[in-house]
Amino acid sequence: MSLDMRHEAESTANTRIEPGRSYGFFTDTTLCIGCKACEVACKEWNQLPAEDDKLTGMSYDNTRDLSATTWRHVAFVEQMDQGPDAVMPGLQSRWLMMSDVCKHCDPAPCLEACPTGAIFRTEFDTVVVQQDICNGCGYCVPACPFGVVDLDEVDGKAHKCTLCYDRLKGGMEPACSKACPTDSIQFGALDDLIQRAHDRVDALHEGGRTDAYLYGAPDTPGATGGIEKLNAFFLLVDRSEVYNLPLAPTRPASRTAPAFGTGLAAFAGLALAAVALLKGRS
Amino acid sequence: MTRHDRQPDTWNGQSYYDQPPLKNPHWDWKVSGYIAVAAVSGAAQALSWIGSLRDRAAFQGARRNASAIGLIGSVMGAALLIADLKTPQRFHNMLRILRPTSPMSFGTYIFGLFGTSSALASLGELPAVSRYRPLRWITRLAHGGAAISGAGVATYTAALMSATSNPYWSSAPRALGAQFATSAIASGAAALALLERFSGRTRTARQLEGVAALASAAHAGATLCAKQRHQEVGLDEALSDHPGRRLDAADLLVAGALPLAAYAVDRATGGRSPTAAVVGSAAVLAGGWLMRHGILNTGKETARRPAAAFRVASPCNLPRTDKRRSWIRN
Repeated sequence: MSLDMRHEAESTANTRIEPGRSYGFFTDTTLCIGCKACEVACKEWNQLPAEDDKLTGMSYDNTRDLSATTWRHVAFVEQMDQGPDAVMPGLQSRWLMMSDVCKHCDPAPCLEACPTGAIFRTEFDTVVVQQDICNGCGYCVPACPFGVVDLDEVDGKAHKCTLCYDRLKGGMEPACSKACPTDSIQFGALDDLIQRAHDRVDALHEGGRTDAYLYGAPDTPGATGGIEKLNAFFLLVDRSEVYNLPLAPTRPASRTAPAFGTGLAAFAGLALAAVALLKGRS
Repeated sequence: MTRHDRQPDTWNGQSYYDQPPLKNPHWDWKVSGYIAVAAVSGAAQALSWIGSLRDRAAFQGARRNASAIGLIGSVMGAALLIADLKTPQRFHNMLRILRPTSPMSFGTYIFGLFGTSSALASLGELPAVSRYRPLRWITRLAHGGAAISGAGVATYTAALMSATSNPYWSSAPRALGAQFATSAIASGAAALALLERFSGRTRTARQLEGVAALASAAHAGATLCAKQRHQEVGLDEALSDHPGRRLDAADLLVAGALPLAAYAVDRATGGRSPTAAVVGSAAVLAGGWLMRHGILNTGKETARRPAAAFRVASPCNLPRTDKRRSWIRN
């Protein structure tokens, strides 16, 4: 290994990986061809076992969703009815392919829910589960607004994309984005990526693709309800639900105070009434 | 920003091949059981403390029973919680940090405080301890601690369920907090009232039944608020072919109407229908557990349904401060 391998990402992603800076993914779905190289690269690098090989019958997607052992998932949206403003010619269904991944939210609902501190924010502003600490309480699972993190039945711990924390530490870009042959998955420093993504949307609009929009960048759908931004964000061309993404997710922790506060107030009110009712013998 | 402002603010029925948009935790009856046990024991300690403040002698029996309920509840609750972990040998990792954003985290500490103070308070029932004045006061102080932490134990679970992305659990945080609190007081009072009845202490039993009746009425109000909210965010529609749509109604019946009617019968007959009162208390306890288990399971169903998850996570359901985002059509 030569010394310049320390900063491999400079030659593969034009980014120098430095602690203290925010990194993420910009997944441009208009460039995705559904080759699943990202899925394979992720499984290989992270040594993730295969899922049960069942046919789903839904288009060409047998992966189905993200799970404890699948951290990249390519969705195949096959649209037969394209409506009057169809972009594609006849005899061709419209394909929307999208490589889904953990969004590394900011703030991250799974992290805010984790009672053990197993989930933490790294020096690269990514969100990682520490396997030697997680005790499998499962609270991060319903906390996630995107259905990403899950517990593994075999080892009883929560797992999800680490944004290749080990590779970032070694100066390398994540496996999925490096393997992506069309640059649909772009890795980089977040400020660069957000700028690049806005430029891409503008270019698409100019070229007539006026349905392109960003999902998860600051002040766009997906970054709502107290979630400031998704460090892994997307460029979509149809409603987010079509890609199995909620249009307006919210930050779960914002509901802690209203629920607990109202509960305590109601309890206190009834306790006061009990003071009057529980007279004893008097 | 040409197309952004064309995003409608409600779900239009589309999904990704009807795949579940959210994931469910593995939680089962152990979690709903814990929530119910925590509610009964927390409220029983609080009510016995209040009763003891007013008439220490009259509530001596209730205090002993509450002490036992508090102890058993703490041990059972801890066992249920640890059994529910997928890596139970690491249960102590819950105490690595204290995270205010995580009800699971701060709730563990409240529960620990409740268990400790309940254990200390129960020592006061031993003659060997209560004979010594300083020790007696320590155990009485601990009883107060169990009462106050009991309020937390009985209600933090509402925050635990609300602070998720689950469509059903999270859609009505305030109403859920009120539902859990009112049901807790009703259940704690009902449990103590039952034991008073069985010990033949009718006077205190009837007073506790009065508390249970008032709390059941308040609970019905809270459940109506929750029902209203579930309707507003579109969960009724999403559950139209699922028994979960009738959960609020079932709750109103079992934990509201039934106990109120039973207690009313006992009162109307001038206390000559103790059976009715016992039935009322049993209904309160059963209703409290059914509500919690029903909420757990109905929530899991809504997480699997795009119709529920995407309706709730629509811009129209965002907090008002959020609705001014430029990309939402008005």
